[in-house]
Amino acid sequence: MNAPAAAFDPRPPRPAHPRPARLRRALLADGFVLGLCGLYAAAVAPFTPGFATAGNAVNLLVTLLPLFVVALGQTVVLIAGGIDLSVTAVIGLASIAGAMAMNAQTGWLAGSVWAAPVGVVLMLAIGAAVGAGNGLAVTRLRMPAFIVTLAGMMGYGGLAVWLTKSKAINELPTAFNALGGRLGFALLIAAAAGGLVHLILSRSLFGRWLYAVGHNARAAHISGVPVAGVTFSAYVGSGLLAALAAVLLTGQAETGSPVLGQRILLDVIGATVIGGTSLFGGRGKVLWTLSGVLFLKLVDNSLNLLNLSLFTITMVKGGVILLAAVLDALRTRWAGFRR
Amino acid sequence: MKSLPVLLLLPLALLAGCSKSTPPTGPGTAARPLVIGVAFETLQTEYWVAGFEAIRADLKQRGYPMLEAVADGDTNRQFDQVRNFITRRVDGIILVPKDSKTCLPMIKAANTAGIPIVLFNRPADRSDARAVTVVADNFALTRETVAYLVAEAGKSGRRHQAMILIGDLGDPNAIGRRDGFDAAIKGHEAIIDVVARIPTEWNQEKAQAGVVNALQAHPDLSFIFTSSDFLLPSIVSALKSAGRYHKIGAPGHVILGGFDGDATAYQMLKDGYLDATGVQDVYFEARASVQAILDLRASKPVPDLIPDPGFVIHQGNLVAKAPQMWGARLARK
Repeated sequence: MNAPAAAFDPRPPRPAHPRPARLRRALLADGFVLGLCGLYAAAVAPFTPGFATAGNAVNLLVTLLPLFVVALGQTVVLIAGGIDLSVTAVIGLASIAGAMAMNAQTGWLAGSVWAAPVGVVLMLAIGAAVGAGNGLAVTRLRMPAFIVTLAGMMGYGGLAVWLTKSKAINELPTAFNALGGRLGFALLIAAAAGGLVHLILSRSLFGRWLYAVGHNARAAHISGVPVAGVTFSAYVGSGLLAALAAVLLTGQAETGSPVLGQRILLDVIGATVIGGTSLFGGRGKVLWTLSGVLFLKLVDNSLNLLNLSLFTITMVKGGVILLAAVLDALRTRWAGFRR
Repeated sequence: MKSLPVLLLLPLALLAGCSKSTPPTGPGTAARPLVIGVAFETLQTEYWVAGFEAIRADLKQRGYPMLEAVADGDTNRQFDQVRNFITRRVDGIILVPKDSKTCLPMIKAANTAGIPIVLFNRPADRSDARAVTVVADNFALTRETVAYLVAEAGKSGRRHQAMILIGDLGDPNAIGRRDGFDAAIKGHEAIIDVVARIPTEWNQEKAQAGVVNALQAHPDLSFIFTSSDFLLPSIVSALKSAGRYHKIGAPGHVILGGFDGDATAYQMLKDGYLDATGVQDVYFEARASVQAILDLRASKPVPDLIPDPGFVIHQGNLVAKAPQMWGARLARK
């Protein structure tokens, strides 16, 4: 005898475990990390001296913007299923190349009114060239992105130190220094870069290709997506944005240095992943990255103001990034490939 | 999605909106201890740790709280830390910059905020940025140290192949030490033939690799000067591997000299392996840095450069000078 059929219920089935379902929704929400930023700021503000001040908000923005610009490039590469570890070397190399050209004493652009714009173009060109090299190695030689960009980090970083014999170069044009040193200009540059990448990712065919390649390169190829071209372009974009960050960082320091940005790789990848961009490819947004950068900088800034040592700050940041990676794994499992 | 921009602005608005400044710590506020921000580029070597602790102890003795920051070699991070000090309206900043150039915007920022700033052990390039620097005469002290080593080498009656380990050339102290070495060698080419110059960038691994390579390329090398004592373990390791680590007076001894005066150098002097080292007086530099901040705040005249006289310690004056050597004090703790 068959069991009697259950009566039809038009309501959607109740989740077996309501709490995990709510957690899932929260984790998958676009504003999750931004909400965390707000909560964190509200929580630490009362007992962190100098944290809740206009001056500190400006400090936070000044340090956030270059990191955001580099992280934008990393977002694009991660979405495409790759990784770019050479960004810090690009920053150093672009910084000293621009500074060598623009230096008021020995630069070949010394004294020229075109020094700043040509210097910036040169820096961007170096970033794009390094990105193109990485892209070619990954797509044409089919080398793993991790190894290619790790070798790039060492090679280009070494080249920057060799070119300058480890010396920093200052006496740069005032107009150039203003690009990174004046908050208004830096904000404009970072906003323009962020806006452009956002439009590309969300409104263009190339953006859809990028997600498709990161999601499943083989399926994308069968569907007619030019996988190699898309991957190559992602690395060029990453190099270009790292060089743009070099413009901001060099302007802030008023000095070109071969080791500029050498220590920010963990922050770049960490902020991108904290925001929600997946290490497994196929998922990421500019706003997510911005929120990840903001969260990491809020943590960094508040712990600094609490007079904690660098070692404590590094340990806390490491923990936060690890937690973000765990959340990324959970999101990937729960969301499938929801974007 | 539409609420995202609002969410995004929330944390910054929270920061900006709560208050304009931190009221209790403005300069000039009466009847409160001064707060001094101390920003070091690194704590990688014993010298910097000793300096950091010496400043902390001096401030504690005077009853002043210290805000600390270490940039781990990251210039932009250090600028961020200096800005944080300014945001907190500290009463003075003691800074160890990464190099002589990237610190200029930091000094200017402190100048603009009206906060006195002292550079501890590393000078800045000449500019319109105003800071007091407390530093040893790296050139003179190295020249004196190497002159002692050359005199020791001369006693052997033969020509020595020599090597110098050079620091980060972005650091004026490293340049001063290199130039001091060259000045001491000049005129003594009959005794000293410099066959290797190792650029270490203040990195132990690079130093060790350089020394290993140099010992292989020049097996008769018998004179080594390191621009910082913190590289001595790398040299010792390479010499041991090559079977060349012998006490002073023993056949095959490689004449060794250094700069800083750390605990390793003291132990090696005591054990009879190190011939001489130039000692920076870290306690003097700490005391002078704090005093300079106080004097600047009191509008007393303070010279732009406060020299640390330092001294050379060697086998001949070890017992007499050891009590003044900071590394000896550390080693005895």
